[in-house]
Amino acid sequence: MATISQVSEAPSQRSQVKSGQTFIIFLALVATFMALWPFLFAITTSFKKQIDSTDGTVIPWVQYEPTLLNWQQEFGGGGGDATFKALRNSALIALGATLVATILGTLSGYGLARFKYGVGNKNLVSWFLSQRFLPPVATVIPFVLLFKELKLLDTLPGMIIVNATFTLPFAVLIMRDHFAEFPAELRESALVDGANEFTVFWRIALPLSTPALVASTLICFAFSWNEFLFASVLANRDWKPYPMLVAGSDSVRGIMFNFVTTRMVIAVTLPVILSLMVQRFIVRGLTMGAVKG
Amino acid sequence: MKRLIIFVLLASLLMLGTLSVTAQDTFFGKTADELFPIPDVAANEQEQELAFQALMNANIPDGRALGEGKTMTFGVLGQGSRGGISGTIYFWRNAFEAATGAEMEIVEIPYNQLGTTIPADFLTEQYTYDAFIGAAWQYGDWVSNGWIQPIDQWIGDERFPQWSPDDTAPAFRALLEWDGQTYGTQMDGDAQLFYYRYDILNDPDWQAAYEEEVGSPMPNPPTTWQELLAVTDFFNGKDWNGDGDPDDGISLHLAAGGQGHFHYATLAASFAVTPSDGDDPTAVSKYDNVFWFDPDDMTPLINEPGHVRALEFLQELAATGQEAQFGWQLGDAWDNFLGGNAIATFSWGDVGSLSQDVNRSSIKGNLGASVIPCSSEWYDREIGEFVVDTENPNCVGNTTGGSWHPTMSTFTEEPELTYFFMALLANPSINFYNATTGWQGIDPCCTYQLYSPRGNATSEDYTAVGFDAGDMERYINSYGANVYDKTTYLTYLRIPGTLEYIQETLDIRLSEAMTGQSTAQEALDATAADWAEITDDLDVDSQLAIYQASIGYNP
Amino acid sequence: MRNNRAKYAFLMPGVIWILLFTLFPLGYSFYLGLTDFRLGREAEFIGFDNYSEILGLDGDGGDDKALSTAGFTAFLAVGSTSMTLLAGTFIAWIFNHDIPFVKQMRAIITMPLFAAPIALGFLGVVIFNETSGPVNNILQGLGLPRVNWFISPWGARFAVLFTDVWQWTPFVFIVVLAAMQGIPEDLFESARLDTKSNWLLFRHITFPLIAPALGTVALLRLVETFKAIDIPFSLTRGGPGQVTQTYSYYTYEKGLVGSFQLGEASALAYLMVIVAIIISAFYFSRVSARFE
Repeated sequence: MATISQVSEAPSQRSQVKSGQTFIIFLALVATFMALWPFLFAITTSFKKQIDSTDGTVIPWVQYEPTLLNWQQEFGGGGGDATFKALRNSALIALGATLVATILGTLSGYGLARFKYGVGNKNLVSWFLSQRFLPPVATVIPFVLLFKELKLLDTLPGMIIVNATFTLPFAVLIMRDHFAEFPAELRESALVDGANEFTVFWRIALPLSTPALVASTLICFAFSWNEFLFASVLANRDWKPYPMLVAGSDSVRGIMFNFVTTRMVIAVTLPVILSLMVQRFIVRGLTMGAVKG
Repeated sequence: MKRLIIFVLLASLLMLGTLSVTAQDTFFGKTADELFPIPDVAANEQEQELAFQALMNANIPDGRALGEGKTMTFGVLGQGSRGGISGTIYFWRNAFEAATGAEMEIVEIPYNQLGTTIPADFLTEQYTYDAFIGAAWQYGDWVSNGWIQPIDQWIGDERFPQWSPDDTAPAFRALLEWDGQTYGTQMDGDAQLFYYRYDILNDPDWQAAYEEEVGSPMPNPPTTWQELLAVTDFFNGKDWNGDGDPDDGISLHLAAGGQGHFHYATLAASFAVTPSDGDDPTAVSKYDNVFWFDPDDMTPLINEPGHVRALEFLQELAATGQEAQFGWQLGDAWDNFLGGNAIATFSWGDVGSLSQDVNRSSIKGNLGASVIPCSSEWYDREIGEFVVDTENPNCVGNTTGGSWHPTMSTFTEEPELTYFFMALLANPSINFYNATTGWQGIDPCCTYQLYSPRGNATSEDYTAVGFDAGDMERYINSYGANVYDKTTYLTYLRIPGTLEYIQETLDIRLSEAMTGQSTAQEALDATAADWAEITDDLDVDSQLAIYQASIGYNP
Repeated sequence: MRNNRAKYAFLMPGVIWILLFTLFPLGYSFYLGLTDFRLGREAEFIGFDNYSEILGLDGDGGDDKALSTAGFTAFLAVGSTSMTLLAGTFIAWIFNHDIPFVKQMRAIITMPLFAAPIALGFLGVVIFNETSGPVNNILQGLGLPRVNWFISPWGARFAVLFTDVWQWTPFVFIVVLAAMQGIPEDLFESARLDTKSNWLLFRHITFPLIAPALGTVALLRLVETFKAIDIPFSLTRGGPGQVTQTYSYYTYEKGLVGSFQLGEASALAYLMVIVAIIISAFYFSRVSARFE
């Protein structure tokens, strides 16, 4: 089994043509730069005055005079309340959804890794994961009506429910894979010692699961944080998350580069930083079992 | 001697009065700095000062009995605290809170979400907003669903800030009303007028060059669409601003979702709407003063020959500007004109006020403005033929646009507090100030903004805020002429489903025609088919009844 | 028996959650699809009329917007899947060499995956802007013609495609890289005795061994782009005209904008659910064995 952490130990023999090494490094740098450049562009533009924002310059102080004005407008004054509120909403919704998804995912994942079920474990796992394949637009319509009846529209529990539902497959998969690697002897010897299944789970399996739990948590959090479609219909005032604010950043007066990029940077910073922390689990978490990471 | 004493007494009284006015530098205990802090609310000291002055002149009554300890929620087109329309709400929130002791929560609704957020809120019975700002064309949905309520009972009541619907030009006033009742308070007045470069069109060298190339004197300013096309065609591709690059003729915003359908409607009106032949040219009949649907059976008129010709003409006109126009939102088209790269545009009043903002415009002092052009070619539905008459062209005015203004939810628990804020924004002193800022996106509507004889504003009112007198003369008078002088108008579509008819259908089909995916005829045929389906879905009979009522047609 | 109770106690909370919040809504949505329901009006049961109208079974030509948006969705799904596979595999091949700072670079490359698509769409509006956007400036700098990204139908289609490809290439990259690193080193060593060509090594050793992963990831990518709505929503608003409106976007507009035709929109959505079920059946037939 290859884990991603082994990448750095990739044997040098793999690259057979030594003279081509510089070229390969160059290509790697190009690929990295392509991924990074739009972020850099957004960051530099968010520190420009409107009048400089379309001039194509990139280097602050040298090519243009940076300004904090865009950031002040987003976080201060009239617009600041809305920004803070939306960020707070996003954080609470994502935290709540992550908590629910991780708890449910950990329990189900443990069950699926430890026990055999009549309908077939592979069918059950597939069934959990297949939720991820459903087009969200198919479930958002019934959600509007159900939430209206249940008085869950524009509430924190409502927003947590939808986000937990669509991130649950990530959690189930990450935790199942994790527990599947958990040494069976540990569990068996504990059971022999008279512990019940719950004690084994709680005292032995769970304490050894911190890395997987962290991965599940961060991935669920990042995807809840980014969710727009459900929010655009189910939240309209009190629980509007930040992507809703982003969706409003095109003015009917045309696109203002500096303003749009500032909101873009605010929206992506947190999940992108989180992604840097879960590198080891990205493959496993995102690929729905495509590759056993 | 006695007279002298009286005079001195009077003079000193007057001076005292002035002194006490200057001494009174707080509004319900708040200073200008607290109400309009820089840069959070006001951009600079001048803005702060003018706004505070406007507020003091508005004589806002004490509303604390209405508002102390309460909260109201205001929904508005979301463009941020310094963006058009929503910026106005943020700008005056502190003043409202100071005068009433209430708190106001502002909920921004993105332009592309307006059709979802407000209807969904009512349909799912959440009733989030006490008041909200939408476009006047949504009245059909709002009123027929019972979502907004009339406000006549409070107008003129001394407990509230003062404004009068009588100040509003009749063409705009109609947009605040439905079936004889007032639902909206005055804010923005949208009508498209024609802007051009006054300096270039009056330059004898260019006039001579035009005559040489075209073979006839340059129309100055053009009064028909056909003349306008000749002028923009002549200037397009020439470096008439001297920057070394070829410049544009026309500047339009034609992106899908970029409100390009307004350009079409404004232009098509004079190709497709005919005045009544009888004593009253505004009388609505099966053939006259109709634009959208046949008033007898809701058959879409959008693919009739006059409309098709108008769209073809719009294609020709757009070809005298740069190709990028087809991807422009309205701000892009304005900036191209304001930056001195286009000879003409037709758009809302925003261009007039923005042209005076030297941070955004290089044409201050050179702004030409005129009423929306007429057409020397139009389709007469009654005889089923085109008429061509260059001597007596067909002139049709418009109030195209949202004329964005607040309306009050039927379900508000605080109607009086809500009305207090609506009336504050409608107050002449405050609305006058707002319309001069440019960035707020609020356009003139009212007699207090128009010059004599239509209104009672003076040149000094505008020069006092730093505007160019010549520009304002042309701009304000054209604006007035646009909303007062035309005999017939493009009817405003105010039936349920307007958003579907216009934004989800016409706008998309127009964009297809403008980007060469279909011909004008194909695009409008497709629109007509879509419309018939929408009408069918919404129920023909009820739509017909509302349509007839909205245009004043009696079969 | 205690064991049995525990077994279900672990599994059931998750199962119940999904029954409640996915399957029940889906069933409800199926029912809605059989009505002419509009929010705010009375619903009437109309059987499969919505479906026959959409598919043209009523002899009325079908819903041409559904058809054209499905067409663009197919373009996006096929285009994005193939481009991300090509680019992702190539980048994985690069990173399968001994390169300094590989961890850091790999981390940077995966960043786009975690950026909110709605925000990326708006960033795209800036980046592809015809007059002052960096993409056109770069094209011009390279002596290439500027592209009318939002005006020309094909420009807009590719602007949406490229934005999606940019976001999802890292996904293919990490999957394929993991697969490549699972290839035993001795296979290469013996092959190197016969050839020195990198291409031949890739063609005859690497590719056959990563092919299963590529197949699986292709299916995943297909189904992901198939659901796409955020990026066209913010990047092009579906324009010019309607050429970049995806099927999801059209369904959203039908059901949740303006007139709220929830009945018809549910029927539209259900057609998509059927396709999703078919693709996921393929998918799980490939991968589910390892979940036993």
